[in-house]
Amino acid sequence: MNQNVTRRAWLRSLAVAAAVAAIGTAGSAAAQQTLKFGLAMPLTGSQSSYGKDQIKATEWAVADINAKGGVNGKKLEVIVLDTQADPTVGINAVNRLVNVDKVPVFVTAWSAVVKAVAPIANREKVLELSIGANSPDIAKLGDYVYTAFPLADVDVAALANYTFSTLKHKRVAVVYINNDTGIEAAKVYKSVFEKAGGQVVAYETYDPKATDFTGMLLKVRTANPEFIHLHGLVSDMPIVISQMRQLGMQQRVSTYSGGLNQQMIEKAGKGAEGLIVTSLAPNAQQNKNVGPYIERWKKAENRIPNGLPYTQYLYDAAYLVAALYEYVENNKLPATGENMRKALLAVKTFELPMTGRLVMNDDHTVRKPVNLVTVKNAEFVPLATVE
Amino acid sequence: MEYIYSVLILIGIYTIMAASFNLIIGYGGLISIAHPIFFALAAYASALLNLRLGVPIPLAILIGALFSAGMSVMLSLPSLRVSGDYLLIASIGFQLGFIEVIKNIEFAGAASGLTGIGSLYSGPTRSLAFTVTVLVAAAAVVWLVHWLTHGEYGRAIQAMRDDEECFASLGRNAMAIKITIFAVGSGLAGLAGALYAHYFQFLSPEQFGIVQSALILTMVVVGGMGTTLGPIVGALLLTALPQAITFLNMPPSVMAPVQGMLYTGLVLVFLFVRPAGLVGKKAGQ
Amino acid sequence: MFDLPVLLQILWTSVATSTCYVLFAVAFALTLKVAQVWNFVQAGTMGLAFYAMFAAMLGWGWPHPAGFAFGLGIAVAVSMAVEVWGYRVLRRRRSSALLLFIFAIVVAEFIAYLLSLVFGTEPQSLTKSLTSEVYLVGGVAISSWDLNALAVTAAACAALFAFLRFTRQGQFLYAVADNGDLAELYGISANRAYLIAMVIAAALVSVGVYLYGTRASMIPNAPLELMLLAVIATILGGIGSLVGAGVAAVFLSVLQSASILVIPSQWQSSLTYFVLFAVILFFPTGFRVPAWLRRR
Repeated sequence: MNQNVTRRAWLRSLAVAAAVAAIGTAGSAAAQQTLKFGLAMPLTGSQSSYGKDQIKATEWAVADINAKGGVNGKKLEVIVLDTQADPTVGINAVNRLVNVDKVPVFVTAWSAVVKAVAPIANREKVLELSIGANSPDIAKLGDYVYTAFPLADVDVAALANYTFSTLKHKRVAVVYINNDTGIEAAKVYKSVFEKAGGQVVAYETYDPKATDFTGMLLKVRTANPEFIHLHGLVSDMPIVISQMRQLGMQQRVSTYSGGLNQQMIEKAGKGAEGLIVTSLAPNAQQNKNVGPYIERWKKAENRIPNGLPYTQYLYDAAYLVAALYEYVENNKLPATGENMRKALLAVKTFELPMTGRLVMNDDHTVRKPVNLVTVKNAEFVPLATVE
Repeated sequence: MEYIYSVLILIGIYTIMAASFNLIIGYGGLISIAHPIFFALAAYASALLNLRLGVPIPLAILIGALFSAGMSVMLSLPSLRVSGDYLLIASIGFQLGFIEVIKNIEFAGAASGLTGIGSLYSGPTRSLAFTVTVLVAAAAVVWLVHWLTHGEYGRAIQAMRDDEECFASLGRNAMAIKITIFAVGSGLAGLAGALYAHYFQFLSPEQFGIVQSALILTMVVVGGMGTTLGPIVGALLLTALPQAITFLNMPPSVMAPVQGMLYTGLVLVFLFVRPAGLVGKKAGQ
Repeated sequence: MFDLPVLLQILWTSVATSTCYVLFAVAFALTLKVAQVWNFVQAGTMGLAFYAMFAAMLGWGWPHPAGFAFGLGIAVAVSMAVEVWGYRVLRRRRSSALLLFIFAIVVAEFIAYLLSLVFGTEPQSLTKSLTSEVYLVGGVAISSWDLNALAVTAAACAALFAFLRFTRQGQFLYAVADNGDLAELYGISANRAYLIAMVIAAALVSVGVYLYGTRASMIPNAPLELMLLAVIATILGGIGSLVGAGVAAVFLSVLQSASILVIPSQWQSSLTYFVLFAVILFFPTGFRVPAWLRRR
């Protein structure tokens, strides 16, 4: 009796596995004529509000490129898979992209995912473009990992220098979330600020799941800083700021581009006035394509995108990939990861519609001018630009 | 083909996890959900031994597994002294506590994760070699669990579960058996963890939370608790099934929650319709 | 750092914040005491209550009392369903504690996935703005949220106490908690007691998530983590003691906040788990509350 049960169970499981294999190979046999690239982003999970908008931006760009004839007449195709901003899911997604969909290049973001999939990119010789993650380690993840987005040592450093030199604050406090987003950026801020000659009087962290920051904020308050740099996520930063104000801390606060989100103003209310946020993408005054782009969002979705600057980079990602394909096509090279990488290093300088000029440095990074934006009367307005 | 290898490797690793968890919970009757943390401890230990101290990987894997087995005593000894129920709660605290600790340890990569871990094999046949290794290890583990639970030792375990007081009165040490089972199970989980580390070459503390615990529990329950082949069936089904679902071309934004609902729904159905799992004896047989 | 206003501030805010956790802990302790079940489904109830309120208040624009009532209704309905079609069935089959545990956790997860499917996974709150009016009393900032939360929680606990102490059904709950089979012999319906315990727990957590949602953001997976503190508080307070659970919840909250004074901030969250572990090692039956205080 037991044997029959076991046999049935085996057959059931084997049937499932066979179905997987069949569907998998069938799927990849279709559509060989398009120029493919992968996009591994969080479609679900706590970061999906950013991920979905970024994916949409890329998809729009792909449609725009194809509407103008594609690359040398061939259509560009983006294959989107969900990572949930989680390394394990990300590994799975990229495995699929590389081994089943056979893309020669893929775009991904969120530092944990970028790092987790780096071994795959390096082993399989597929070009990994990190766009949006900012951990400084990304520059050193391997031969096939490049970032087309400035890492934390660009915008956080600019912020620290601006706070010291222009705002003339000598004593700051750094408050950061205790995960990879916060820990590394906080280190960058501290070292840059101290190198400029300033003093970091308080350096405190908080748990991503905490909702009561009183104790930690009181410690910061006791240190009496002139200014506070906060590095967290949109789910906690407004709460930290509002609790800060409630404890009588009126110092001005700065944060990175993750704070360029309407929720910051909504949830923190008046406490958000004066908030300084970085933006690594040009605004409508600096780049004539950005205005119409924002209008397009308002028409399609009735709002501005979450993390507008990131979406600009993701829009340009399609153009970047198109440029790589163009090089490869023009030089009659097969579209492999190796050649994509070669293309990247050969072309080196790209003129992209939403973010302007992109120069890929030899150290696998890019540098960009940093826009500073501030909150005035419950609106984000430009403040300054740091080269 | 690469993709199929990686799925097979995952199935193998989860089979080891499920089989060792089955040993602990199905045969030993010890309710703990901290299984993933022993996976993690060995994974980190092995990765770091190799990365920072240059220990050759096969040896590092072995030491990692032993490390997990040893650490398990830290959990089982104090909790079992009190009662079985406490093991459950203590295991939750142990797992989450250690995740927090790892998140704060710099040389283990802290919250950003540990990158650049050495690979057990390299070169063009890497994936094939890994697949063979992992599947052989999985088979060995399943056989080991079977051997442990069906010989004389197995009868002792059975007797202990059936009537612990009687068992103790006969002079057998229930506590020692429980701790041993827990250590063996945890050590095997550690083996899976170390293999995982040297294949995927990346570890991050978020990967070892309660979600993982629930996943392994599901595999054991659906496959059939307290059976030899149950864990294999469970691991196979629950690793292959989500992969299959991703090929169904559902809009990606609903895929993850639907997948989750399918899993958990599956367990609930099994709990009520067929609590013995796919491989277990049907009620009344 | 150790001056009085700072200490008072930490004390005040951590006690005020602990209110939600008190409710979660007492609810969990109640179902454990009466039904002897580790009701992890509570996490699912919490999630459903929150998102129901969210849908009503921010989706359909209902005023808060109506939205709360809606959430409460959903929570109670779900709890009853879980008890009648879940626990009761498994109990009748004499299922092992393990099976009940698996059932509870899996239902909670199922609900979390369902919620993330319907509502997405972005952080949501029950009010647009999370700030409230602040009054300064002797250097200590007291927000109106704090005052509301304390008042509401005190009222809820008082109501629970009154019910348990002064009504017959409340007494029956104790009888069943003590010895279900014996109570049955006396004509007390154990099943009814289990159901009532679940309903009360649902009501308590509804209040709890309302408070939480007006102060912080929630995602579908959050309740499972919030439950952790409830479970730890229940053990710390002594299994079987509702007062213990509540007091332990406050204690843990204060401990976590005050710990900043002596340990670096990154170890704050680990503290709770170490406390749990220490408790298991040294106080497995919870802190001993003096007998005269421990009437229940």
